This record gives sequence, C-alpha cells and structure tokens, in this order.
Amino acid sequence: MSVPAADPGLAEAEAEAEAGQPRRRGYASYVGFKVLGSIGSFFFMLVVNFFLFRVLPGDPARTLGRGRLSTPAQVEAFNKTYGLGESIPRQFLTFLHNTFTGQLGISVEYHTPVSTLIRHALWPTLLLVGSSTILATLIGVYLGIRGAWRRGGLFDRITTGTSLTLYAMPEWWLGLLLIAALGVGFWFIPGLFPTGGLHSPDVNPNSLHGVLDTMWHLALPVTTLTLAYLADFSLIMRSSLLDELGEDYLQTARAKGLRDIQVRNRHAVRNAMLPTTTIIALNIGFVVGGAITVETVFSIPGLGLLATNAIGVPDFWVLQGTFLVASAGVIVANLFANLIYGWIDPRVRT
Amino acid sequence: MVGLVLASLAPGLAVNGPASAKSKVVFKVAMLGEGVDSLNPFVGIQSPSYEMWGLTYDYLVGYSMTDMSPAPALATKWTTSPDGKTWTFTVRKGVKFSDGVPLTAKDVAYTFNRVLHGKTEQASWISYLNGVTDITAPNPTTVVLKLKQPSATLPLLPIPIVPEHVWKNVSESDVKTYSAAPSNGQPVVGEGPFRLVEGTANGDTFKFEANPDYWGGRPHVDEVIFQFYKNDDAAIQAMIKGEVDFVEGITALEVKHLQGQAGVTAHNGNSPAFEEIAFNTGSVDTKTGKPIGDPNPAMLDPKFRHALGYAVNLPQLIQKVYQGAGLPGTTIVPPSYKAYHWEPPAGQKMTFNLAKAGQLLDAAGYKKGSDGLRTMPDGKPIGTLRLDGRSDSPTALKTMDYFKSWLSQLGIKAQVSAPSSNQLTDIILKGNFDAFAWGWYVEPDPDSMLSYMTCGQRGNWSDSWFCNKQYDALYHEQHVQIDQAKREAEVKKMQQILYQQSPYLVTAYDTIGEAVRSDHFACFVPQPNPGGVWIEQYGVYNYTHIKPASQAGNCESATGGGQLKEAVTATKGGSSSSIGLPFIIGGAVLLAAALAVFGGRQLRRRATVGDRE
Amino acid sequence: MTQTAYAVNAVSARLSARQLTRRRRLAAWKRVAKQFRQRRSGMLGLGILVFFVVVALAAPLLASSSGLDVTKANGPVLGPPSSKYWLGTDDNGRSVLTLLIWGARISLFVGLVATLVSMVIGTVLGLVSGYFAGWVGRVTFRLTEWFLVIPFLPLAIVLASVLGRGLFNIVIVIGVTSWPGTALLIRSQTLSIKERAYIDRARAIGAGRWHQMSKHVLPNVMPMVFANTTLTVAIAILSETTLSFLGLGDPTRTSWGTIIDGAYHAGAITTGCWWFILPPGVCVVLVVLAFTLIGQALEEILNPRLRARR
Repeated sequence: MSVPAADPGLAEAEAEAEAGQPRRRGYASYVGFKVLGSIGSFFFMLVVNFFLFRVLPGDPARTLGRGRLSTPAQVEAFNKTYGLGESIPRQFLTFLHNTFTGQLGISVEYHTPVSTLIRHALWPTLLLVGSSTILATLIGVYLGIRGAWRRGGLFDRITTGTSLTLYAMPEWWLGLLLIAALGVGFWFIPGLFPTGGLHSPDVNPNSLHGVLDTMWHLALPVTTLTLAYLADFSLIMRSSLLDELGEDYLQTARAKGLRDIQVRNRHAVRNAMLPTTTIIALNIGFVVGGAITVETVFSIPGLGLLATNAIGVPDFWVLQGTFLVASAGVIVANLFANLIYGWIDPRVRT
Repeated sequence: MVGLVLASLAPGLAVNGPASAKSKVVFKVAMLGEGVDSLNPFVGIQSPSYEMWGLTYDYLVGYSMTDMSPAPALATKWTTSPDGKTWTFTVRKGVKFSDGVPLTAKDVAYTFNRVLHGKTEQASWISYLNGVTDITAPNPTTVVLKLKQPSATLPLLPIPIVPEHVWKNVSESDVKTYSAAPSNGQPVVGEGPFRLVEGTANGDTFKFEANPDYWGGRPHVDEVIFQFYKNDDAAIQAMIKGEVDFVEGITALEVKHLQGQAGVTAHNGNSPAFEEIAFNTGSVDTKTGKPIGDPNPAMLDPKFRHALGYAVNLPQLIQKVYQGAGLPGTTIVPPSYKAYHWEPPAGQKMTFNLAKAGQLLDAAGYKKGSDGLRTMPDGKPIGTLRLDGRSDSPTALKTMDYFKSWLSQLGIKAQVSAPSSNQLTDIILKGNFDAFAWGWYVEPDPDSMLSYMTCGQRGNWSDSWFCNKQYDALYHEQHVQIDQAKREAEVKKMQQILYQQSPYLVTAYDTIGEAVRSDHFACFVPQPNPGGVWIEQYGVYNYTHIKPASQAGNCESATGGGQLKEAVTATKGGSSSSIGLPFIIGGAVLLAAALAVFGGRQLRRRATVGDRE
Repeated sequence: MTQTAYAVNAVSARLSARQLTRRRRLAAWKRVAKQFRQRRSGMLGLGILVFFVVVALAAPLLASSSGLDVTKANGPVLGPPSSKYWLGTDDNGRSVLTLLIWGARISLFVGLVATLVSMVIGTVLGLVSGYFAGWVGRVTFRLTEWFLVIPFLPLAIVLASVLGRGLFNIVIVIGVTSWPGTALLIRSQTLSIKERAYIDRARAIGAGRWHQMSKHVLPNVMPMVFANTTLTVAIAILSETTLSFLGLGDPTRTSWGTIIDGAYHAGAITTGCWWFILPPGVCVVLVVLAFTLIGQALEEILNPRLRARR
C-alpha cells in the first residue's frame, strides 16, 4: 500500500548520480547483483517466517480439541504428530529441509499437506488478483494518459478526484458497499450479483455454464479490487506521463510540427509506460494485501481466506506456507521488475 | 468489460430461474463459520465435519429426535448381561456399502477395534468405548462388547462405521493424513443415506448424492450440496436469491430480519451448549499440588463465588447480549437433555438480587470498607478482579462488561480485558486469571462434560481448576452405573454441588440461527423437539425426511409435533430491501465531494500553467 | 534608510552562527507555509483534518463517554436515525454518532503514534544506511530492502496475532511494518546531501560524524520526513481499520475500524442498517484523504522535481 511516488530504486539511482559517482555496471553484473539480492531476501524471509510463527501464542492441541481430546496422553500424541514438541533449532532445520523439498508441513486443522491446500487455493486467488490487476492496469493507464495529456481538464479533474478518494478507501469497505448496492439490491432494482463464493452450488465448474457462472460470481470482487488497484495505477501513470511531457525532446517534437496525438502515442506514452508497469510490479505486495481482505468479504476460497482462517487456530503450517508463497511471489515480481527496468533504463544499474 | 459482465450475467439469471426444475431435487445448504477440517472421521473435529460423516456413514446406535437418547440404527436391538460387562448387538441385515459390498458385523467390529487400538483413531471416539476390552463379531449379524467394568454411556455408540475392505489398506501411520475424499470421480465408500461425490477438506463445496438402497428408505432429495461462506450477508443473499435453500449459523438480528421475508422461515434453534462466567477456584501444579498462578484470594472462596451468582441479571443478558435468542442458564447440563438436567428449585435458584448478594457477601466477611469497596474478611482490600472476555467473541466481551457494572454496584472493582481464545487457553493453564467468559458444547451423554469438572482434569480440560471430593466420588459412581434412574439422580446431585460451589456461573443456553426457503423445502423436524435445531443435529434425520415444498402434503407424523410445514410461494420483488439506496446516495455524496475539491484545484492549476506558457 | 540597514547588520553581527541558522530555517518554514496556503487541495485537507482533530479533542464535550458503555445503552436495537439519535443506534442500542466521535480519538491516536514509531525507525535506518559508506550502511540498506519485499498485510497479521490485541500492540505492528519506504526516501536524500560542499567543509574542519549527522544532514532531510509523515499517517489509519476488520484490533476500545467490524458482524448489510456501516467508513476516507492531500501538497513544495510535475 505504498503511496504512488517514484519507486525507490530510481530515487536511489538518481541520488547516486547526483552524488557524482555513477559507477554504472554492465547488464550481466547487474542481473547477478539483483539475483543475489533476491536470494538474500528469500533467506531473510525464511528466517523471519520461521521465528514469527514459533512465537504465536496458544496451544493448537487444546484449542483445536476443546471438548474432544480428553487425556494428557492424547494431547501429547497430538503434539508429537505435528512436531510441536521438538526443540527450536531442530524445528528450524526440519523447516529448511522441508521448504526446499516442497513439503510445507501438514495442516494442524485440515490434516492435509499444506502444499495441497495451497495448490487448491492458488487458482481462485490468481484468477481474482490476475484479472483485477490486468483490468486495473489497462483502465488505469488509459485514465492516466488522458488525464495527464489534458491536465486540468474536466476528465482529469474527475479521474484524479475519484482516484484519490478510492485510494483513501479500505478496499474491503468498498466491497461491502458494492454488496449492499449491487448484491442486495436497492430501490426497485433487485440484487443482481451474487455476493459470495466462486460458483453456484449446483453448477459443474468444468462446463461452459460453470465458467460463465464463475465469471458472474467474480463480478463484484473483481470490480472491488480493480477499483482499488485502479486508483494507485492511474495516479502513477499520470505522474509518469507528466514527467515525460516536461522533457525537452517532446517540446522539440511538437516544435517540429508533429501532431499532438503522434507525440503522445509515439514518444511520451511509450516512455512513460515503462516506469508505470515496473512500479506496478513493484507494488505487488500491496496487491496481495487487497486479496486477503476481499477474499474474506466475498468468501472466495483463495490463499487469503486460507490464511485468515488459519489465524484463529493457529495453524502454524498453513500460515507459514501462505506467507512463504506471498513473499516469494513478491520477491520474484520485484526481481523481474528490476531486471526489465535495468535492461531498458541503464541509469538504474548502479 | 461490459460484454464480459453481460455474458456472465446470463447463466446467473438462469440459475435464479427454474434451473432446478430439471427433475433432480437438490437441497443446497449455506454453511457459516468453521469449515470441514477433515472427511476422515478419525481425525476431524469441527462440527461441519460430523455432518459430512453423518451423511456418508451410519452408526450402530444413534440418537432419538426428541431428547437424543440412544436409538436403533445399524443395530436393531441389543442386550446386556446382568453385571453390565457384556453387551450384545444385533446388526441389521441387507445393508450394503455404496460399492455393493454387504455390511456385516465384521465391519462394525473392525471399526471399533481400530478406535480401541489405534492412537489416532482414539482421539475422537474412545470415550464411547470406555471400559471396553474386547470386541468380536461371532457371526455376520452379531457384535459382542466385553468390558472390564460396567459403562454408563452404553448402548450409545455414535461411531461412524467404516468399510473394512477399504480401510484395511490405510495403515496406522497413514490414517493421520488419509483424506477419505472422493477421488477419480469415485464417491467415498460408505453405508449412509448419501454418498460424497465431490469435496475436500477446507473445500467450499461438498456434493452428496442420495443412496437409493438406504435401509431407512430412499431420501426424498436427490442431492445435498453444502456451500461454505465466510460472510453472513453473502450466505443470506444467496438464500434470498434462491441459490441456496438453507442458511446455518446466522445471528439473532438476521433471523429477526428474515422472519419478515416471504417464502423464508427462520428461527433460533436451541443447541445443546451453554456459556458461562468461570472462576479460578484454585490453580495448582498438578504434580506437586502447590498453588500456581495468581488468582484473587476471594475467588477461592465458594461463598464469595456463589454470592456473585445473585449479582448476574440473566434475563437482561439474554435480552441485551443475545438479542433475546437464548435461555437463562443454570447448570452445565442443558435442559434439552431432560433426563439429566437438574433445575434448581426456587429456594436455591440464584436470581438477580444485588441486596441479597450484598448480604451474602457481608455474612461471608466481605464487608464494605470506608471507601465503599468490599474487603477480604481479614480487612485487606480485594483489589481489582480481572474479567477476561474473548476478542473473538462479542458476547463474551459484553457479558463481562455487564458483570463489571454489577460488581461495581456491589462495591467490587473489576477490569475487562480481551485476550484471544488461544491466549486465554494459555492464561488458564498458567492460572493467571480471576474470571473469564467461555462456553461448552455438551454431548447427549453428559459423562465427558461432567468429567471436565473433576480434580483429575485440572491442568488438562478443567478450566476452573475446580476440585471437590464429593463431586469426584459421584462422578466415578455414575460412570459405571447401569441403573439409568440411579445414574440420573447422581448426575443431578453433581450439578447441585456445582451450583452451590459455583466454579461456573452458567449464563446462557445459546441458540443457532437457521433459515430455510420454506417455499422450496418442508418437513423439517427440530432436535430436540420442540425448540431445537433443524440441521447439525445428532444424526441426519432431516436430510432423509425433508421433501420438496410441492410434495409436502404428507410429512411423516411419526415424530410428533413441532414440525415446520410451510409451502409459501415466494413473492418476487418483496424480497429485496431498499437498503442499497442510502449506500448509493452516501457513495455519491462522497464522490461529489471529492470531485468538487479537485475541480477547483485543477482549474486553478491549469490557469497558472496557462499563464506560464 | 541607511540607518536601518546598519542596525540590521549590527543585530546580525551580534547573533551567533547557531541563531542565524535557526533564523534561516524559520524563514524556510514560513516560505513553505506561505506556499502551502496557496494550494487549495492542501488547505482543504488541512481543513478536514482540523475538523476531525477538534472533534477528537472535544469528544467529552460533544458526547458523554458513558455512551460507549454497552451496559448503559438504552436506545433501540439497530434503530434508524431519529431526532434523538442523529445517526441511529448500533446493535447494543448505543448512538452511532457517539461512537464516531470517540472513535475519532482512537483512530487518530493510533495513526499518529504508529507513524511516529515508523518515522523514528525509518529515519534512523535511512540516515545510517545513507550516511555510512561501509558495511554498516550496506547492512542497514539490505535490511530495509528485505523488509520492503515482505508483504505488508500478512506480516502485520502475523505480528498482531503474536503480540495480542492491545491498542499499543496495534501501534507497534503498524509502526514496525511501515518504515522501509521512509528509510529508503531518507537514504536517497542523505546520499545527495552528503556530497554537498558544506558537508565536505565540515568534515575538513574536523567535525565528528555525530555532529555532521545531527547538525547538517538531519535538519536538511527533516522537511521530506515531515511530508512523508503525513502520507504515512494515512497508511497507518487505513491499516488500523483493516486490522480491526480482520478481528485483530483492540475490541475493548472504539475506533472507526472496530465500529465497521461490529456493523459487519451484526449483519448491518442484510438488515439494512446503512447508518451503522456507512458513516465510519466515510470518516476513514475523509481523514485518509486529508492526510494524502496535505502530504502531496508538502511534497510538491519541498521536492523541486515534483513541483514541475503535477
């Protein structure tokens, strides 16, 4: 949930350039540097991940079994089954070994390998987040371009005002409003859209009907997330393009008599797209956060819902696994963004 | 985008319409709260999982609909030896598993032996086989249980009977993670009224098909589908739109709202559970017997605790905290279990009376000091009592808010805090508390609930650290008592002791909010009858007995009154409320405000840019 | 005329170098304030903010705190707005308006204190990583980068479950999860300031590191820290609301987040109680918007690169 400002990588590069020490690297060494950095991040994340989850309060055996397990021997057996009784260093080694072999442990609550749970939950999350991100990028970029090009015009005023208001809105609250307005219905209009779940109970999800039914169910959550991301993306695109428009070469192009639309499409937009898309990729951590709350509001059985359900138990392994997947996703997205950015804009290879 | 929405709208509208008119009768249930934790009956513990096993498997001896006493299921009859140490069950003939293999006494003995000897299998079910040493199937229709001491809980045996020919391939170590879910399109093999054809642990959809050969008769619905929702509104809207026919686990306020909807019948069903304010009656290290934790010394005195019972206004709690949905509580055995529940006579009943509470405290030595606060009998200040609500339970928190205000009227200071349930478990085990609010779900046989209050459960399931010799003696007596009348008397005596000693002040017998599209389905019978819940019962009576509203003319009357029999036709348009309008208006105002702001701002900016150029 | 000029010179001659600096900085702040006043959106944000701050401070005058006590509530259950309850009542019969007024206190308090925590951590680590060229700088920079890639909400959820549900825990959770952005900003500022001539001069005349940092670098990055602070408050208030909604807030205190959470769980949408769920959300939006507007206005003024842009 970062404020749409210039991305840190660029700011840093510029600062160093201003400092007069542009130790520019070759691309290969830049790639190596960034990959190493990502691996470092990944290890740091593993350590944080492990220790955070080991200090969670509560005793899963008792909480889960309230009213069911009855003898201390049974509680002990339960703890042994789930490795809860081992020493911390041992647990850490087991954790490292298991993580790299793809075994994320067995869910305390669901008695199912966490990797299976995550595999099941991944698809709804990807569907939701993916379609929202694509829609938000397309619409946001379009709005940003139009707004920036006719800065101060009616269109710009409306989009900037709306974007800033949406940006100030908790996305799940927006979701609740949409449920109230479009799911429950208002005035004489009946509630048109389903308010939860990924499909109707009696529809085969693998049929054409099922696919359409899923799209119908995703209408409100995707709209919610799209609006939430849109606010961020359109503001970024607008300010990137305004940056570009201030550059000298554009003034030159205009002076040479090129038509506005040509200048916009051939030069300014193309140059502004790059920082925008990479900043969007860098903001993926914020995308993950939105998915958690929106999945909760709309009962979408994705990673976010899996994680929030696990808090109450607490289901160490599920929390750890989902946190791992989310962090790894962010690290990979960041790495790609940085690589593309560094390839196209050598200024950042410092 | 528009095209996408339109295209996707079409099937949705089709679902709304008479899609289920396709000859198949499908009963769709929206579930809220915890999901299914496992389809494997030996490892799951969440209540929706019991519902799944109940449809898939059957019991040897199940529950009656009226008071949940033992009732014949796979066993048609049973006998017990005079010393109570041998039980003989006759197994129903002609029962088949869903793969065609006949069910015999061998499957029953196999299942029970697994529970008796398997470490994992024991967890949920061993309490029903208490004292059992040997289980055999001398012939295909007879199961014999041998016991080392009589068991009061028999003949109740609500253990899902699993097919030996499938489960013998699941080893002792594999059973922990065995999913028992449908695979490769094959349903789970079971003998119950339905077959699970789709669904996995933590899934959001579970689909069951009717078992045409069910011994109790073919169910009147072809399919049962459970859909899990995280959000009440989503589930309720799905029901109003006809996507689902039943909602389970909604709030009392939502029930009230739905009672006005055409085509919907909603109620708060009494569930066999209670909520209590529990006290730290003396936390000790169970090995050394030395006190641990820091209970307020006043809490250790039964007279003090009992006096506080007169300072709790139960009717007000029910009204304000439970929105009227619930019954004032008395003892740890809910009144649904008529045979075992002890109702305090008028002279002993704790009713809200601050004056009487004050007198009792005065008599016990807790007199008011010069500052208006009560002191210990030795004159030391009582200090501030810590009241732990639970952050994940608004009712627990509000109960403690009220308790605090009543205590302050008595001249006792208190402070409410809200740890999470997990943290509270730790706090209880360490003895670092004075009072907390929580609840228990009570099984039809009160044995395990009663056991939680024995000395032996301290540091384990006991959360009040209660210990009383007389109570323990009675517990062991009733545990092996095979004379039902004597056992009932003993159980009631135990509740009386608890009521006097007051480790718990039972505040409420709570309810579960349920709503059904009574224009789609009818013939629901509550359990207990009357006043009980419609689904998540002990047993699966309603799944096999409900009928589509159009055929509901002749609901079986065998189970007596209290039936829900309505065939209201839903009236279109009346179902949606007008609540969206204020939301739209509010949103519009917000947007208008934002636009006005930026309009002015950008206009100004533009002017300066223009000037510059 | 000449006499005045002479007098001014005489005064400045008597001022120490320190006083001169102070005076120069005061003038700089005044210049910023003047420019800020010309920005309508910034002033509007300030106006909204002042309104809510006044409401929060005057809460005891506007509504009695006993209105928060469920045991003393005697309004109707989920009653619609009426002349007695302007914004209706909640499921306990409490006035929603009273909850909003008192909720403003907690929401603003959490937002401001969490930001303070975040700013302190971010500024210190940013200064250290920017100022020190050796391994100290490198390690702190790496640490910042690592924290930056940890997804914010999952980390906050885990921390909130670990620390428990107290108000201060929420402050700490938001504080320790939202500092990396600030740290990177401060670092890049520090890097550019470090190379300026006067720092070299200070170094040449033997100023210690602490002196350089505290007397030269820190005062120069402060304006950006200030602008960034207002943006961080916006994020902190949003985070508090979201954590409360996920059940990780402090249920014994009334904030706008816990009000919406309560409304959600009481079934406000199904039962049509828009007055219970809409106003607290609108308050959050307005305050977050106010902080964003102020922050953007300040950024535009203080950062010359942005000034040309928007």
